[in-house]
Amino acid sequence: MKITISQIGAKQLVTLEGRLDTTNALQFQEDIKPLMEGETPDIEIDCTNMEYTSSQGLRIFLMLQKSVNARKGKMVMKNMKPQVKEVFDITGFSNIICII
Amino acid sequence: MVTRFEPIAGKTAEIIEALMASEDMPISEDLQFKLRLCIEEVVENIVSYAYDGGNGWVEVGTQLVGDSLVITLKDEGIPFNPLEKSDPDITLSAEERQIGGLGIFLCKQMMDKLEYERIDGCNLFKMTKHLKQ
Repeated sequence: MKITISQIGAKQLVTLEGRLDTTNALQFQEDIKPLMEGETPDIEIDCTNMEYTSSQGLRIFLMLQKSVNARKGKMVMKNMKPQVKEVFDITGFSNIICII
Repeated sequence: MVTRFEPIAGKTAEIIEALMASEDMPISEDLQFKLRLCIEEVVENIVSYAYDGGNGWVEVGTQLVGDSLVITLKDEGIPFNPLEKSDPDITLSAEERQIGGLGIFLCKQMMDKLEYERIDGCNLFKMTKHLKQ
């Protein structure tokens, strides 16, 4: 999983590329640390090239969403592939994470 | 096809790939996506917990039965019936949701049948997926 984080004004733009699974979930958790800091975060995650996530990945997105909520910020995930979106749908994550 | 792995510590990816490489696997990308996800969830559980961090073996196999693919995983670890685990409440808010507990739930949703048996000191877990949608 390749992750790119860029700061555009007050917004953090994130692009995800590849597969998020049991082999790289811990690394991913390290890589998103810059998103877990700061007041009222405004995070946009582009999932165009995110191929796959297992429950290990979902766990990290939930952690991030909790952190964003606690800091009164907002986060959206966009351009998710249908198969990946289905994983978010059947676990109810589509109700707690804004997916556009 | 049955493949045995011993020891299994750190072998999660290798075990998943062995199953995905089976000639019984469907060619549909959508089905492969779902099967890989379910296989990963179960293999990860076995590697992490079956032998309590210690080492042991697992036998994994696939079989076509009529229009269905049956994936079998057998280990000699601590008795554990994943089907007894209660489902997460997917209506809760982010704050109320627990981190974790989603793996088996995903398998329940994506596969057509899950079966667990404890036989001769082994955990035997079977997942069945109808391939003709």
